[in-house]
Amino acid sequence: MNPATFAVLAVVIGSVVLFGTATVLALGWAFRDGQFDNLDRGAASIFGPDEPVGEPTDAFPE
Amino acid sequence: MAPTAVTPEFDRERAAAERAGIDASCRGPVLYFAASAAFWLLVGSALALVASVKLHTPYFLTGIPEFTFGRARMAHLQAVSIGWTSMVTMGGCVWMMCRLCRTELIYPKLLFVSGTLWNVGTLLAVCGILLGGGQSVEWLDAPPYCPPFFIAGLGLVSAWVAATFRRRREPHVYVTQWYILAAVFWFPWLYTVAVFMIYWSPATGVVQPIVNWWFNHNFLGLWLTPVAVGTAYYLIPKIIGRPIHSYYLSITGFWALALFYSWAGMHHLIGGPIPAWLSTASTVGSVMMFIPVIAVGINHHMTMRNHFHRLKYSPALRFTVFGAIAYTWVSFQGSVESLKDFSEVAHFTHYTVAHAHLGAYGFVSMIYFGLYYYMIPRLTGREWASSRLIRVHFWCAAVGITIYFVGLSIGGWWQGRMMNNPDVPWGNIVVYLKPHFLSRTIAGVLMTVGHVAFAALLVMNLAGWGKKRTGGPTYFVEKT
Repeated sequence: MNPATFAVLAVVIGSVVLFGTATVLALGWAFRDGQFDNLDRGAASIFGPDEPVGEPTDAFPE
Repeated sequence: MAPTAVTPEFDRERAAAERAGIDASCRGPVLYFAASAAFWLLVGSALALVASVKLHTPYFLTGIPEFTFGRARMAHLQAVSIGWTSMVTMGGCVWMMCRLCRTELIYPKLLFVSGTLWNVGTLLAVCGILLGGGQSVEWLDAPPYCPPFFIAGLGLVSAWVAATFRRRREPHVYVTQWYILAAVFWFPWLYTVAVFMIYWSPATGVVQPIVNWWFNHNFLGLWLTPVAVGTAYYLIPKIIGRPIHSYYLSITGFWALALFYSWAGMHHLIGGPIPAWLSTASTVGSVMMFIPVIAVGINHHMTMRNHFHRLKYSPALRFTVFGAIAYTWVSFQGSVESLKDFSEVAHFTHYTVAHAHLGAYGFVSMIYFGLYYYMIPRLTGREWASSRLIRVHFWCAAVGITIYFVGLSIGGWWQGRMMNNPDVPWGNIVVYLKPHFLSRTIAGVLMTVGHVAFAALLVMNLAGWGKKRTGGPTYFVEKT
């Protein structure tokens, strides 16, 4: 196997291993951390007392 | 002594002050990325017009070698993909990540280094191509001395996004954060591997176009799409004041995109000299993309239900919803285009050009315009100076991309039908396409007018011409 072919294979196989592992780890962490336990609370997490649900936050300037 | 009662008004002011503090921490670098992106959008628009006019008026600017069609089109692509969309993507990632993590940006000045590296790289790419240094590798056509600037600049942004996430005070990871984290993880790897396998340690033979199209498709799919869809998932609920219709669907959509999108690039090589299983697997991945696209489409539509009247009142919502609708349309179209029977006609025609522009402009750029209209006033503390210019921008962009898409889709389809018929002389196909090319130029002029209005609004806002706001729909609290 010449060096160029080896480099290509190393990159492809290395990427598959790296990204496969990263995806599994991320998903596992999310489950353990309870990220998917209360989806309604998750959906509301971008709101706060200053920009509450029910209050639009953008308009054309006057 | 009794503790001070915490009133709703006190809570509101404290939360607003926290949000204003977070915005202030990332103001400098995010505005730098945003202003640079707008500059490259103007450069890219001018180059696009030159290239477009040449298609129906071939003797236009023939005496200037820098503006031959091949160079102008390549330079346009670099200006809008690397300069415009990527710089907004990076600025938007930083701003949204800070807000969603409820944490201030650390060492913001170092991100100026990242932005400068990226600007220098883009300048070298555009000028290098115009001067004849372009490479014959679609989307990676910048001269080989440019990638180190992009890799270094991108590395800094990715590290800063990761550092912001590590310091988060909000325990929940919102769906937009999933998209952003994935994009800043995927793209540096995607870009570095593509450059490595095409320029630094070139793969041989047919592997090169395979790597090339794997990169090209994933540039949109694993870089621009996640951040643009994530932006829509942030902006639409925030603007109308209503949580996402189904958070479960949004998470499902993210993981389905993560699983299937990276397969799709090989459908660009259907009919080419690559192993049949590779293009077939890619077609399967492309069709599986129906799952995340339907999830996002249903979610955005159902979230907006009973709130469509707000499109009249919110500029950011207007652009974002247009982009979200275009996402559903372009993704469905992309899945169908990956089918081999369909490809027999549409492949290698202007139908694909129309599809690419619907994706990069109708979907990604329109959502990013929405991001600007929402984000910039919160960073500068000033409203936009002119409602009329915003309306000019929206209608020029919306009508422009519609004309572009319809004109080239129809022209491209019949171009494909004629190319498949050996009885049709090649010259007849060129003559048939001329009015369609003209529609492309008209659309380009409209979009460029919109971009000039947009740039003027941005300059006015940065110069402090807009009205200072302390309440109302755009809720600002000045730091005391």
